[in-house]
Amino acid sequence: MSDILLDIRDLSIIYATDDGVTEALNGACLQLRKGESLGLVGETGAGKTTLARGIMRLIPNPPGKIVSGQVFYDGRDIMELSEKEMRALRGRQISMIFQDPMTSLNPVMTVGEQIREVIITHHPNLSKAESRKQAEEMLEMVGIVASRYDDYPHQFSGGMKQRVVIAIALACNPQLLIADEPTTALDVTIQAQVLEMIHGLKVKNNTAMLLITHDLGVVAQNCDTVAIIYAGEIVEYGTLQQVYKNILHPYTEGLFGSVPRLETNSKRLAAIDGMMPDPTALPKGCKFAERCKYATDRCRAELPDMYELEDGHKVRCFRYEKEAQ
Amino acid sequence: MEKTKTNTQRSLWQDAWRRFRKNRTAMAGLIFLCLLVLIAVATVVIDVVTQKEFYNTYVTSQNLVERLKGPSLEHPFGQDEYGRDILMRMLWGVRYSLFMGGIAIIFSLIVGGALGALAGYYGKVIDTVLMRFMDILLAIPSMLLATAIVAALGTSLVNVLIAIGIAYIPTFARTVRASVLTVKDQEFIEAARSIGCNDREIIFKYIVPNAMAPIIVQATLGLAGAILSIAGLSFLGLGIQPPTPEWGAMLSNARNYFRDAWHVTVIPGLGIMLTILSLNLMGDGLRDALDPRMKN
Repeated sequence: MSDILLDIRDLSIIYATDDGVTEALNGACLQLRKGESLGLVGETGAGKTTLARGIMRLIPNPPGKIVSGQVFYDGRDIMELSEKEMRALRGRQISMIFQDPMTSLNPVMTVGEQIREVIITHHPNLSKAESRKQAEEMLEMVGIVASRYDDYPHQFSGGMKQRVVIAIALACNPQLLIADEPTTALDVTIQAQVLEMIHGLKVKNNTAMLLITHDLGVVAQNCDTVAIIYAGEIVEYGTLQQVYKNILHPYTEGLFGSVPRLETNSKRLAAIDGMMPDPTALPKGCKFAERCKYATDRCRAELPDMYELEDGHKVRCFRYEKEAQ
Repeated sequence: MEKTKTNTQRSLWQDAWRRFRKNRTAMAGLIFLCLLVLIAVATVVIDVVTQKEFYNTYVTSQNLVERLKGPSLEHPFGQDEYGRDILMRMLWGVRYSLFMGGIAIIFSLIVGGALGALAGYYGKVIDTVLMRFMDILLAIPSMLLATAIVAALGTSLVNVLIAIGIAYIPTFARTVRASVLTVKDQEFIEAARSIGCNDREIIFKYIVPNAMAPIIVQATLGLAGAILSIAGLSFLGLGIQPPTPEWGAMLSNARNYFRDAWHVTVIPGLGIMLTILSLNLMGDGLRDALDPRMKN
């Protein structure tokens, strides 16, 4: 299919430190069509950010290393590109919004200049006046008056800084936007504004988005497909409808159980027992077996495959082995 | 803040200047230094225009009858052991301290800064090799190192510059490396990489400006040190040779007459001290002014 923008195949990333090898990402497979939004949900340390950095090829090396896998962007394998080709891609084709707007802006450069920076990096022939005009337009687009072009990041509030970060990310009309927990550092009202804005801009430019979050509500509002990641593995993957209406994986079940619901009057939320396994010593079988109430001996000994149900809903659990066939 | 966001065109430097102006002691230092620069330039101009005639008549001409005479109306700072006017000699000496110190510091800032940035940014082997070499240089006291270099190369103006320049390289390399290290792991550097910046852009647009404040402070303090070193080398007889009116050399010559005439030592000493003091005050003020996190 030609409308597939991003095709991640079997991507594995490790961090080799003195304390041992951390298997941060184990054979992740994801696909993203043009203009589509994919929500990547998982808890802290599940490998969400590692996946995002892997796509940008920004894994700090050492200690990080991409062990295997391919990432096809628009038909080209990103892993095969030279560093120069990769630089041309970053910011122009694939942009990233970082989690913390407080630290992701350069404190000694005006916000306008930082937006202009990405524009001139990818359009070196633009005159100063033209690039400045474009940068001002970007500022206006994210709802900041252009007269604040010459202000420094510390003169902005957190929400406004995140808008600037978004303006930088979208300044060159990228095809793919990777938003790594874009609203985690913001309070709830600002979260809503920022998400709405990202969504609006995304629709306008037909940008595909990989939204990384641990907030299921945010995913429900913004995404078309959802992938649940646990201990470096995608455990459930399907459209928003499939995953939210027909929860398959026990981990996903646990995740949804820990979200308060309006319609039921439960006093306590169901938490998932136990902790995520130590990524330097992952269990041999299913990574979730330790905490799973359905776990069998087979789960502990053998790693389940990604089983695809008839409607395309995928899950990594032996309970659906028969159903999938 | 009574003036709100109407002032749109306000650069980092204008902002820093605004804050610097509020700092009175730093301003005093700056004014004194500007005065010194003016004097240095003016004396050079006078030399060129009068083809050293003024210099020969008033600065080096001896008057042995009036040797070691105290301050008077005609000679406000008194006269030295050869009856030369100390005020004139002080004025003509400014250029050596200021310009030579400046050149030496710029030299070591460029070399040391580049080495430090390389070591800090690329790390690993480059870092280890460069920094261990700097450690070796640093292990030798800078004055001793400069003395040794001058002794090896011979006493001349250029050799003094080279000696002091080399002696200050390790301090700059260390300062720059340290600031680069603190800046390079911050998220905005990764953000810069994620918009497609290359190493050069990241170093010069993101890391260096953020690491600037300690470097500028180090440079002003280093300039003070370099001026002292030049004076020190001249005092030891290894720097600028008499009859050139260099402050350190003047001080050295005056040593012998210290008991008979206080002014011959105090005046050059005060000159050196005030210059160093104003540089230090200015360095302090600059550090405060250049830190954008300390705005308003």
